[in-house]
Amino acid sequence: MIAMAALQGFDSLMSGDTVVAQNIAFGILAVVMIVAALRMVTTGNVVHAALYLVIVLAGVAGIFILLGAEFVGVTQVLVYIGAIVVLFLFGIMLTRGALGEDEEADTEKRRMAVLVGVLVLVVTGGAVLDSFGDAAVNRAAPSLTAEIGDTIFSQYIVPFEAVSVLLLAALIGAIVVARKD
Amino acid sequence: MSEFLRSWLVLVVFGGLAVAVVGTFLGLGSLLRPQRATEQKVMNYESGVDPQGDRWSQSNIRYYVFALMFVLFDVEVVFIFPWAARLEAYGMFGLVEMAIFIFILALGLFYAWRKRLLRWI
Amino acid sequence: MFAQAETVATPEVLWWALVPLLVLAGAAVLLLTVASLVRRLPEWLPAAWTIVAGLAVLVSVVPLWNEVQDDGARSFLAGAVGIDGSTLFVTALLAVAVVATALLSRAYLTREDLPGVELYVLLLLSAAGGVVMASANDLIVLFLGLELLSIAVYVMAALHLRRIQSQEAALKYFVLGAFASAFLLYGIALVYGATGATGLARIAGYLSTTILLEDGMLMAGFGLLLVGLGFKVAAVPFHAWAPDVYQGAPTPVVAWMAAGVKAAGFAALLRVFVLTFGSWSGEWQPAVWGLAILTVLGGSVVAVVQTDVKRMLAYSSIAHAGFLLVGVQAASDRGTAAVLTYLGVYTLLACGSFAVVTVVGGAGDDRHGIDAYRGLGARRPWLAGAFAVLLLGQAGVPFTAGFVAKFGVIAAATEGHSYALAGIAMVSAAVAAFVYLRILVALYMEDRHLEDDDEAGAVEVDPAPWGPRIVITVSVALVLVLGVVPGPLVDLAKDAVPVLVGG
Repeated sequence: MIAMAALQGFDSLMSGDTVVAQNIAFGILAVVMIVAALRMVTTGNVVHAALYLVIVLAGVAGIFILLGAEFVGVTQVLVYIGAIVVLFLFGIMLTRGALGEDEEADTEKRRMAVLVGVLVLVVTGGAVLDSFGDAAVNRAAPSLTAEIGDTIFSQYIVPFEAVSVLLLAALIGAIVVARKD
Repeated sequence: MSEFLRSWLVLVVFGGLAVAVVGTFLGLGSLLRPQRATEQKVMNYESGVDPQGDRWSQSNIRYYVFALMFVLFDVEVVFIFPWAARLEAYGMFGLVEMAIFIFILALGLFYAWRKRLLRWI
Repeated sequence: MFAQAETVATPEVLWWALVPLLVLAGAAVLLLTVASLVRRLPEWLPAAWTIVAGLAVLVSVVPLWNEVQDDGARSFLAGAVGIDGSTLFVTALLAVAVVATALLSRAYLTREDLPGVELYVLLLLSAAGGVVMASANDLIVLFLGLELLSIAVYVMAALHLRRIQSQEAALKYFVLGAFASAFLLYGIALVYGATGATGLARIAGYLSTTILLEDGMLMAGFGLLLVGLGFKVAAVPFHAWAPDVYQGAPTPVVAWMAAGVKAAGFAALLRVFVLTFGSWSGEWQPAVWGLAILTVLGGSVVAVVQTDVKRMLAYSSIAHAGFLLVGVQAASDRGTAAVLTYLGVYTLLACGSFAVVTVVGGAGDDRHGIDAYRGLGARRPWLAGAFAVLLLGQAGVPFTAGFVAKFGVIAAATEGHSYALAGIAMVSAAVAAFVYLRILVALYMEDRHLEDDDEAGAVEVDPAPWGPRIVITVSVALVLVLGVVPGPLVDLAKDAVPVLVGG
C-alpha cells in the first residue's frame, strides 16, 4: 500500500515533459558514486576498497537504467558486481598480504595515479563530448532486454553458441592448469 | 520512457522499503537494548571457541577454480536473461539452442566434478 | 509493453555447410563427456578419436567444395557465417594440422608420461575456433572464433606440467594474447563506429559506396585490427612472444601453433583486409607493406644468431609470416591465391619440421640445442634426410614445395608493382637460407667427436614412434611431390578465392 502511494506520488513527477525525477535520481547516484569512488582510492584497506567499488559500479548500473539501457544495467550488476568484484575479493583472499591498513600502497605511486586518472578523464571526456555533444537520449524508446533477445536468437545465434564452447574451453583450461599432478 | 522507468521504480521502492524495515528494527533495537560491554562480549564470534590468530588467513590457491566457475556461470546467466524475457516467442528453436548452451557449460561443471576439483581441500 | 510479434523468425541454417564445424565441436564435447564418465580411458582412444574427427572433416570438405564451386559462395544464419572456397581450403588445412598434431601428441604424451585427454579436447576446440574464423562473415563472430582458438592454445602451451618453461610460455602467450584481443576488439568497435555495421558484407558495401569526410576513426580501427591480427600471426614488431612460446611449449603444440593458428590468422586477415576493406586498400596497404618488410627481415636476420633449433624455427616461422604478408599486401586475387598456397605448403613444412623436433627433443623435451643435431646424418640417415628436405623446403629451394609458395607471393607482389617489397623478400629468403644451411651443416658436416666424447652418447636419438614417423613421411613426400608438380595445390588455391555474400 505504501509502495503504491509512493508510486503515484512519483508518477506526477515523471509525467509530461518533465524529467525532474530522472534528474534527481541521477544527482543522487552521482553524489553517491563520487563519494564512494573517493573513499575507494583513499581507504587503506583493500577489502574496503573493493566494497566501495561495488557501490560505484552499482551507481553505473543505475545510470544505465536511467538512460533506458536495461540490459546493460543488469549485465553491469551481474558481471561487474557479481563476477569482477568477486574475483577481486578472491584474489585478495588467495594472496598473502595484510588485510588491514597498507601504508606502502599509499605514498609513492599516488602522483602517477593522479596523472593517469586525469589523463583518462580528459581523453574519455573529450572524446564523448566531441562525439555526442548535447545530443539527447531517445526517451521514447528505451532499449528492452527482449529486443536484445530477439537479436541474439535471430542474427547472433552462432556467436551465442560459440560463447558456450568458448566458456567450456576456458573452464577446461582453468582445471588443467590448476591440477596438482 | 516513463513507463519503462516506472517499472524500475517499483524495484527501487521495494528495495528501499526492505532496507528501511531492517534499518528501523535494528536501529530501534540498538536504542532500546541495555549496553553493558565486557571483553568477552565484544570478542569476535568464532563457533563458540576463543578466536585464534589474525583475522587474516590465506585461502588455498586451488579454490580459484571455484571463483572461475562462478564467473563462467555468471556470464551464462547474462545470456539466459534475454532468452527468459521473451521465452514464448523463441519457441522450440530457442529452447533447443538454450539447451545446447547450458549442456555445454554444464559439461564443464561435470568434468570438474569428475576430476575431483569440487572437494574441500 | 512488448510490441513485437509473438514469434521471432528463426534464421536460415544451412546445416550441410556447418558440418566441419559441428564435427570438430561435437567431437570435442563427446570426448570430454566420455572422459568424464569413464575414469580410465584406453590410452590410444583420445588420439584415435581426434584423428578420426580430423579425417572426417577432410572428407566432409570435399562435397562442400563441389557444392561451392558449382553454386557459388553462400551466406547464412542472418549473414553471420559464410561458406566459400577459402573457408573450405583453410578448414582442410586446419583438419590436416589437427591430424598431424594428434599423431605427434600421442607419442609425445606417452614419452613424457603426461595425462592427455585435455590436449585433444582443446585441440579440437581450437580447430573449431579456427573454422569459425575462416567462415566468419561478421566481426563479432570472427572475434569469438579467435578467442576460442587462442584460449585453447594458451592452455595447450601450459600442458607440460613439469617443465617450468612450458608454464612460462603459456603465461607470456596468455598475457600478450589478451592484449592482442583487446586491440582487436577495440578495432572492431571503431570500425563499427565508423561504418555502423559489424557484418563484413555490410561494411564492404558501406565502404565501397560512401565517401567519408572524416576517416580518422576508420583508420584507427584498421590500425588496431591490424595490430590485433598481427599479434596472432606473429608479425614483427608484434612477434616478441613467439620465440619464447615456441621454445617452451610442448613441441606437438608448437606444430599446431605454427600450422593451425597461423592458417586461421591469415584466413582472418584475408577476410577482413583484402576482402572487406578491399575498396580502401590504398589506405591499409602501406601499413601491411611496412609490417611485411619488418617481418621478413626481422625473422630471417634474428634467426641466424639463434643456437636453439626450436627458436630458430620460431624465427623462421616469423619470416614465413612475413612472406604471407607480402601476399596479403598485394590485395589482389592473385595475392590471395598465393597466400593460400603458401599456407598449404607451410602447414606441411611446419608439421613435418616440428615432428622431427619432437623426435630429437627426447624425453624431457629439452634437447633442442643445435648440438643435438650434430652428426645426425651419420647416425639416423632417414630422419636427418627428412629434416634436410623439410629445411630446404622452408628455405624455398627449387623442386620443393617451398619454392612454389615463395615464388607465388613474390610474383603477386611484383604484379602489384611492389618491387621494393619483392626485392627485400628475396634478400630475406637468401638470409633465411643461411639459417637452414647452418642446421644442415650440423646434420651432415660436423660429425664431431662422436666416438671419443661421452657427451655424444647423451645426444643419442630414440627411434621415432609411428605417429611422428607418419607425419614426417607424408609431409616430406608431399613437399617433394608438390615441388615437382605444384599444379593441383595452386589450382585449388586459385579456386579458393574468398567471396563475400551479403546477409
